[in-house]
Amino acid sequence: MSFTKSPQVFSSKVTEIEIGTGSEAVRLGGENTLPLYSFDADTKNPPLVGIDFSDKGPDTDIPGVAAFFAGADTLGAVAKRASEAEGASFVCFSLNSADPNGDDEAVDVSVAKCKEVADAVTKPLVIQGSGNAEKDAELLGAVAEALSGKNVLLMSAVEDNYKGIAVGAVLAYGQKIAAESAVDINLAKQLNVMIGQQGVSSDSYVMHVGNAAAGYGFEYVASAMERIRGAGLSQNDDMLQAPILTPLAADAWSVKESIAPEEDFPEWGPAEERGINMEVSTAMACLASGSNAVILKHPESVKTVAALVGELV
Amino acid sequence: MKKLFDRVWDGTDQMVELAEKALAETIAELGESAPAVMPNTAYNLSCYMAWLGKEIATLGDLKAAFAEAKAMNVHEPRLGNVFEAGKATFLAAETIEACRYAKDPDPYKGEYHGHLTDAEVRALGVPLVTGDIPGFVVIVDPAPSDDAAVELVKGYQSRGIYVFLLGGIIDQLKSKNFAMGIGVRVVPVGPDPWQVCHVITVVHRAAMIFGAVKPGDVEAFDDYSFKRIFAFVNAFAPVRDIVVGCGAGAIAMGFPVITNDEKDMWPVPKSLLIQPDVDAFIDTSLEARDIKIKITNIDIPVAFSSAFEGEIVRKSDMQVDVDGSKFDTFELCRSRDVQDIEDHKIELIGPDFDKFDAGSAIGMGIIVEVGGKDMQTDFEPVFERNFHYFINCIEGAMHTGQRDVLRVRLNKDAYAAGFRAKHFGEVLYAKVKSEYEAIVDKCQVTIITDPDTLAKERAEAKKIYDKRDERLGSLTDESVDIFYNCILCQSFSPSHVCIVTPERLGLCGAVSWLDAKATHQLDPNGPCQVVTKERVIDEKVGLWEDVNENVSKYSHGNLERVSLYSIMVDPMTSCGCFECICGIEPLTQGVVIVNREHGGMTPIGMSFPDMASMTGGGVQTPGFMGHGKQFISSLKFMKTEGGPARIVWMPKDLKELVGAKLNASAKALYGIDDFTDMIADETVTEDPEELLAYITEKGHPVLTMDALV
Repeated sequence: MSFTKSPQVFSSKVTEIEIGTGSEAVRLGGENTLPLYSFDADTKNPPLVGIDFSDKGPDTDIPGVAAFFAGADTLGAVAKRASEAEGASFVCFSLNSADPNGDDEAVDVSVAKCKEVADAVTKPLVIQGSGNAEKDAELLGAVAEALSGKNVLLMSAVEDNYKGIAVGAVLAYGQKIAAESAVDINLAKQLNVMIGQQGVSSDSYVMHVGNAAAGYGFEYVASAMERIRGAGLSQNDDMLQAPILTPLAADAWSVKESIAPEEDFPEWGPAEERGINMEVSTAMACLASGSNAVILKHPESVKTVAALVGELV
Repeated sequence: MKKLFDRVWDGTDQMVELAEKALAETIAELGESAPAVMPNTAYNLSCYMAWLGKEIATLGDLKAAFAEAKAMNVHEPRLGNVFEAGKATFLAAETIEACRYAKDPDPYKGEYHGHLTDAEVRALGVPLVTGDIPGFVVIVDPAPSDDAAVELVKGYQSRGIYVFLLGGIIDQLKSKNFAMGIGVRVVPVGPDPWQVCHVITVVHRAAMIFGAVKPGDVEAFDDYSFKRIFAFVNAFAPVRDIVVGCGAGAIAMGFPVITNDEKDMWPVPKSLLIQPDVDAFIDTSLEARDIKIKITNIDIPVAFSSAFEGEIVRKSDMQVDVDGSKFDTFELCRSRDVQDIEDHKIELIGPDFDKFDAGSAIGMGIIVEVGGKDMQTDFEPVFERNFHYFINCIEGAMHTGQRDVLRVRLNKDAYAAGFRAKHFGEVLYAKVKSEYEAIVDKCQVTIITDPDTLAKERAEAKKIYDKRDERLGSLTDESVDIFYNCILCQSFSPSHVCIVTPERLGLCGAVSWLDAKATHQLDPNGPCQVVTKERVIDEKVGLWEDVNENVSKYSHGNLERVSLYSIMVDPMTSCGCFECICGIEPLTQGVVIVNREHGGMTPIGMSFPDMASMTGGGVQTPGFMGHGKQFISSLKFMKTEGGPARIVWMPKDLKELVGAKLNASAKALYGIDDFTDMIADETVTEDPEELLAYITEKGHPVLTMDALV
């Protein structure tokens, strides 16, 4: 008996959103199949890989990262170098210095940094805030204003600050935002509903539904993403059809497997290699579970994941 | 008396005439091709843009468009015409100001603010749209006194309301050296009524920037300003016709006008309110525009945090001991008409804590009265139950009990810090207003320590408690039109959905139908959603098509059918936080119920954890079901299988807890007295054979019922 292919295609699809401007603008989402099921139907926009760097400069503790950014001694130069990483479709700039529990850098200083970065790259830009809800409401609004016209994506609007960010970044300045919730389909949906109620259209936000490093409770992440995609595609729940964007460098590079020195665990092999493996494994798990884009730190991981996606989709 | 319509038309005529004159003069001076633009805006002359869809660049454009504006001023006594005339007044006002800016791009030289730039509109618009600024007021003309002007503006500032000023009130504030400017959110817009256009343009630009409303889409602009912009006008007597004309425009946009002018003024409900008492302007205005002020701080001398929730006040450390076992005590939440409540009034009837000796026992009553258009009597007990939690969060205070048997203690440190009776009122006021913001518009608190008043009010409160119990008793699944679901537990039990009905509370025991109703009202996107029950499949089993659809939707397709009254046919699933589990005991064809606290074995050879592993996680296991303790005595408990007469075994503690109500249900259902005596417990046996012997001896009704399996 011959094999008859029966493609599993849904009548609903993931919402398509665009970040960036000009020829290097990218689009996320748009597929009507399960993640990476390019054999069922055209994926439309293959999953994307972004490269992350902090406003404190590249992570020089990791030799490969340090080597990649060697010689880039201004933020603009670092940004430009990052945008040239093989496989990176977009650049993610993280405002770690803005954290009120850390350096608590003034908003105008952070904004000036964002401008320097934005001026240095032509690829689409994602800006991650301080991670503090209250500070981000102010910070991301100011960044949205300063980068008006650049169509950047700002992370993240959370339950405690979504109103100001939705209105201040999307409605006032036409930027894109990520709606961040903690590994729970209902919380994700609720936040999307509330952001929608502010008047934000569905092509203006993505979801960041939480993350964990592979092996560190990742099954919750996989389950949440799978259920969100399922609800969006098979049940046509239009409040769960936004593309998923997952920044995972911080998780992947903070677990023991990635950072324990080789002297302590000689049988595990070189630390950097392990970190890359952890980052790549986590990234692929996210993409297989439903992420439309991942944000990574190590240029080698970026290259590897982009190559894998290229082979699969 | 001059009619209101005539006042509006006269006002509009005056403004149009002024505009006509200004336009003619300006064109004579600068020519028609001269630009007519406001500085720093992409939405030039937004009244023209919004209402007429006109993009105006030159004085010539303005002249042509002004003809259209004039055509809107039709003097026929229809409401629509009055609103159109009001808008024409604003268009004329904008024309006057456009001429002024055409001659000089900075006409006010810092004395007044005049036109707001797009950046200023965005900065104001974000908090306005998100609700962080609850609304804005436009105050026109001088207040009765300079002090009254300062009081009013300060009052608005303290409530976070943005203030725009027009006319003489600006001079009043200046004479009092009152700080004004964008930074302090009190903007002196201009000296004359026509500068009102600089405020109207804020609304139009907000609609276009934040609401993506298209120029010329008048309906969308009206809808946006009515639904999203919480603005209102305060106009002081004597109100001139030209201001009345502007007022008609404001009302057309959905902004009520509040005035102290009683001469030739006609009140219009929700739109034009006459409030002779200027001190009451703020309350009247906020109520007219449905503005709720967020409470962010609690005015008490000690800390308030959930960290103090479990704090215990020992006898030796006690300053005040409210003791319900010796004195009259009670706490009561009741709803009243909004008009009858004075917001934030805290009253103490009787002596304060400093009149009692340290450590002495006293009586105390607390009455919290709330009002709001969405308030329902059903929410009273839901709010009241949380007083316990609110009071416990006070540093140095402890609260136990409910209704009219309370124990409230305050320690010596809190007393020394200045904590007195009224501070309980402050806490309850602030918490009730902030936690139930969506429902409660006004709240006042009365604290009673006077023994006579206490006795009288406690008796009153008792009547209310009785009424509530009656209501709860009459609340059946048949008597309501809707159920609620609850998906609070889905974070760890993704496919479970609770259906909460009056006779079947959530299996955790914490969510009753009334709780779910209140939760839904407070947070319409939250964990409790309405479940309709219109299409019955089988009322005895508790099957509805709508309920099934809801369960399927909210379990994301994991469950297709759920019955509400059966443990054999599609029983309701459990998350894992059930208070009790019941399961079939095959030998007697009855069920055993075991509660979470019970550590021992049951006659079916399984302990609570064993049974829990089969019941939780959102799976249906016919023959096993998780449920709340209070469900045991419900007339709907296993109704399909014959009801509570199936219960053959329960732990002794549980029997004691639910016994009285269960006996009452058994009496009502089967005419059996003291039914719980027929139910075995761990002191009788944990063995099935002995269990059968025991219930046979007792003549348990299950023996005559059909087999379950």
